[in-house]
Amino acid sequence: MIDVIWLFREALFGTLLIALGCSVLGVYVVLRRIVFVGAALAQISSAGIALAIFLSSIGVGLGTLTGELGLSFLATVGGVVFFTVTGTRRRVPPDSALGLAYVVAGAVGVLLIAKAAGADVHDLFIQGNILGITTRDMLTLLAVAAAVLVVHVMLYKEFLFVSYDPEMAETLGYSTRRWTFMLYMTIGIMIAVAMRSAGVLLVFNFLVTPAVTGLLLGRNMRGVFLWAVASGMVAALSGFALSVPFDLPTGPAIIAVSGALAGAAWILHVVRGDG
Amino acid sequence: MPSDRPAVITFSNVALGYGSKTVLSGLSFSINDGDLLALVGPNGAGKTTILRALLGTLPPKSGEVTRERNLRFGYVPQRTTLDLAWPLDSVSVVAMGAYDRIGVLKRAGAQARESALLALDQVGLGDLSDHRFSALSGGQKQRVLIARALIGKPSVLVLDEPTDGMDLVSSTSILGLVRALHATEGLTVIVVSHQLNEVANYVQRLALVTEGKFQIGLTEDVLTEENLSDLYGIPVEVDEVAGKRLIFPGRRTEEDPPRISQR
Repeated sequence: MIDVIWLFREALFGTLLIALGCSVLGVYVVLRRIVFVGAALAQISSAGIALAIFLSSIGVGLGTLTGELGLSFLATVGGVVFFTVTGTRRRVPPDSALGLAYVVAGAVGVLLIAKAAGADVHDLFIQGNILGITTRDMLTLLAVAAAVLVVHVMLYKEFLFVSYDPEMAETLGYSTRRWTFMLYMTIGIMIAVAMRSAGVLLVFNFLVTPAVTGLLLGRNMRGVFLWAVASGMVAALSGFALSVPFDLPTGPAIIAVSGALAGAAWILHVVRGDG
Repeated sequence: MPSDRPAVITFSNVALGYGSKTVLSGLSFSINDGDLLALVGPNGAGKTTILRALLGTLPPKSGEVTRERNLRFGYVPQRTTLDLAWPLDSVSVVAMGAYDRIGVLKRAGAQARESALLALDQVGLGDLSDHRFSALSGGQKQRVLIARALIGKPSVLVLDEPTDGMDLVSSTSILGLVRALHATEGLTVIVVSHQLNEVANYVQRLALVTEGKFQIGLTEDVLTEENLSDLYGIPVEVDEVAGKRLIFPGRRTEEDPPRISQR
């Protein structure tokens, strides 16, 4: 079995990098209660990929990697700007803006794909193509995940403060809007590079489920981050290991393991008396 | 009555509001160095709006708010605004008050922790430093947030509804702590509250805000029956029992039984 998995080592390493980056960011996504920002950004990012596929099908070639990654990135940045601006305008409730972005981006993506290619491409668009990760994809993921993690280590206290108590942070001179924009940007960039390989469902899973597991098991912020990363990585590795020899779709297999780990964490949380 | 202490914050004909809506206008007053002031009014009257303008997080629509140079606020938000899902212990919450002094890209190290522990000691919670903030009682949470404000060595301590939802013992204890900090640390203190009876006996100056009306002055000048009745638009009675002022809505007649039995 190890031989078979080793054949897809780029895919495995790529998946682990997505799990690592998204699990760390997911702690903020869950604690700031912006889970649907993650969902909407993933959908917007996928619309960018769909646009690249559509453009490619009508002969506007941007290159497979640069086109899909570039447009996914641009769409996600647009989404981050949109959410940062609408988040401060009370006339449009934030959840409505998210819902709007989610459905419109989803519909645009499906329409573009429908005009560009067949249903098989549509499936890839939703589920991603984990096993199709190349060395180049993996290196891109490595560079982006490393950069995002370095930013988060260096700006940990700023992201923590403006997320936990923006009102107090404002009185001490922090621009919560600017810091929130930076936080969303790191989430958006990670989503944009992960989307092409992992698809909407798996990226959303890595942004939510490991963080939930971490919150159930960790007793402080460090513990939450460590448990989130550990459970994300274990889910990625186990799901991958199960899917290859048993010919299961990799993304859903990873999500199933993630869910099982969150369930086990919840039981442990209750048994421990924390609930 | 003008104070001989210098003004640290001055509102000059200020109008405040959001978008096209003006909530309060014509505000002109000063907060002086060493004041112990309560900003009191019913919910929705505009207390938070004045508070935000005072802190500098809401620019005035017109007029001018001037603050003394190097003025530093220690802000204590309503504890209910903090999300209890965050797995933070008391000392980590307190350390946040020093983050801006540490600077961007630098870690909050042992020194920040040491300062946080000292601040927790100062509010009487030294033994709860490693307790999870979400597991503390309302009064303990409030003390942690006061410690967080103190760690930044503020010149003005601002507390937003510090006793809201607390029992009598806890609220008395918190207001006692605030008054002690004012006396021992020489801080200018501003307490925002909607409970006039609770804060009236703890402060030297009162600012009352009701629908569009604003009044500020020494507590004994503001707390008169005529003034309160005029401000609130209903008859108001002010009694004094054991040296403490009590405010009642509605005025007692000669025939009515006393509000408080005298023994």
